[in-house]
Amino acid sequence: MERSTQESPLTTTTTTTTTTTTNPNSANTYTFDSPHPVYAMAFSSLPAPSPPRLALGSFIEDYANRVDVVTFDEDARAFRPDPSLSFDHPYPPTKLMFHPKPLPNSSSSLLASSGEFLRLWQLHHHGDSSPKVELRAILNNSKSSEFCAPLTSFDWNDAEPRRIGTSSIDTTCTVWDIERGAIETQLIAHDKEVYDIAWGEAGVFASVSADGSVRIFDLRDKEHSTIVYESPRPDTPLLRLAWNKADLRYMATILMDSNRIVIIDIRSPAVPVAELQRHRASVNAVAWAPQAARHICSAGDDGQALIWEVPASGPAVPPDGIDPALVYTAGAEINQLQWSAVHPDWIGIAFANKVQLLRA
Amino acid sequence: MSFDSTNGTKQPGIRKGAWTVEEDALLRRCVEKYGAKEWRHVPQRAVSINEGLNRCRKSCRLRWLNYLSPGINRGSFGEDEADLIVRLHKLLGNRWSLIAGRLPGRTANDVKNYWNSHLSKKPDVRDHGERSKRGNIVFKPRPQTIPTTWIWSRDQPSSASEIRQEKTQVPEIPSSENHRTRVDTQIIGVPNVENVITKEMQTDNRVIQDLEDNKDDESLAGVGGWDDLLRDINLWGDLGAI
Repeated sequence: MERSTQESPLTTTTTTTTTTTTNPNSANTYTFDSPHPVYAMAFSSLPAPSPPRLALGSFIEDYANRVDVVTFDEDARAFRPDPSLSFDHPYPPTKLMFHPKPLPNSSSSLLASSGEFLRLWQLHHHGDSSPKVELRAILNNSKSSEFCAPLTSFDWNDAEPRRIGTSSIDTTCTVWDIERGAIETQLIAHDKEVYDIAWGEAGVFASVSADGSVRIFDLRDKEHSTIVYESPRPDTPLLRLAWNKADLRYMATILMDSNRIVIIDIRSPAVPVAELQRHRASVNAVAWAPQAARHICSAGDDGQALIWEVPASGPAVPPDGIDPALVYTAGAEINQLQWSAVHPDWIGIAFANKVQLLRA
Repeated sequence: MSFDSTNGTKQPGIRKGAWTVEEDALLRRCVEKYGAKEWRHVPQRAVSINEGLNRCRKSCRLRWLNYLSPGINRGSFGEDEADLIVRLHKLLGNRWSLIAGRLPGRTANDVKNYWNSHLSKKPDVRDHGERSKRGNIVFKPRPQTIPTTWIWSRDQPSSASEIRQEKTQVPEIPSSENHRTRVDTQIIGVPNVENVITKEMQTDNRVIQDLEDNKDDESLAGVGGWDDLLRDINLWGDLGAI
């Protein structure tokens, strides 16, 4: 069912105008084969010396879906799935995320998943406590009905880990206080479905929507929001948003069916800092490097994962665009990309039924 | 009540209107004997020595289902039932048979009548009413765009606290409507933050010129915040990039 193989090392590109940096330590990439197509992916945030651990959500167009947890054993260079930590999930999880600041020696971790509700799961990975996976909470947006509009995404606030912000197709964003299990705030964020949400700091988040705008919300001033970018052709949906946690000035967003990644400086809104245009097909996912302030990775339908270095503002962007620093080619369209916050060497990508770890 | 559908013409003598006790008894006996099915035969079968059941078969079926069937709960609707009806109606709309399917012992007809007579007028049935009743306030932030004429001081360290300070100032700026032809400075009251300058669109180029000419103008120094501006005068050189 699973095996680890050694794939070709991360390849680098050289262009005629610039030479891109090579990575002398490019180690191998490691593959995990899942029995079902994988979409949602989350790196565990237990700090080193814990090995990298991934939660993988399946994408089966049906009610019955699974979340599997695999650990990457760095010594053996192999994936070890943990079947006792696998659990059923209703409908495909649209996003998975571990608690960003767990206690270092805790024997359990908290995993959140979004689907038709926001759910919190507790995974006990040491000791013989059973059950190993416990559903801690089901958080329903809607007080008046059993049914909740499906959640497209959510983000766990790093600075204030009791806050989770969710985005939904009913145009609202909801901020939950998960310790109380109650809604902190509900905002009608956009005019159309909200596709992604990202926290900037403890009380500030941004969201993107089918109406084509990136809006920033501040919980201290709920009457106002700020539009930071709008897609050039009106009503082109923006699908994903990534806020650079290392340098809060920068955000990256991708438009629907576009091969460009738009980098926005929130202090110079409306005009993007750069548009990264080297993908040959639609971009599906972006992730900023967790610690380096200017590196960003993107992946798309052309099967490529590219790592870019965004230039500092000031020197002009070259006329034909910025070239990526590193290129990796996978075998199929890449649907998901995550950059591990605690192990910044590792980037995880998911395509078809496979999950690969790439060393950045 | 519609015509008998077999021959398409009005059948003479067929009764309409309220059901009498005797008709109910005939129907009841017939259903007990033959079951609550094959309604097209019921008018023929529901006969006694004295009389026949001169009712349309549709009428027989409806009478049975809505009134005579033993499982019907004839008591008034309880609070929990009313609550369920409200919620289901919000979800399903006027599909009474579906709603009644979730209420054991209640017919669709009864549910519909209860709704129309009691519940549809109440304000707490409407969506927005529901939310405020339960204390769940939903905000709708009004979006605003930062004018493109904003210039941020270039050397600002990107600490989180600064972003917060600047952001809280954002809503105030666009409210200045008048088109003045001089530069306004706005000092954010935090010592380590560089000044933010706003200006009107029309005066862009002219102002740059003025400031660069007046770089060493003593009269400007000391007017609140201009010292800092003069220190950062290189800022204007980047204007082309915006």
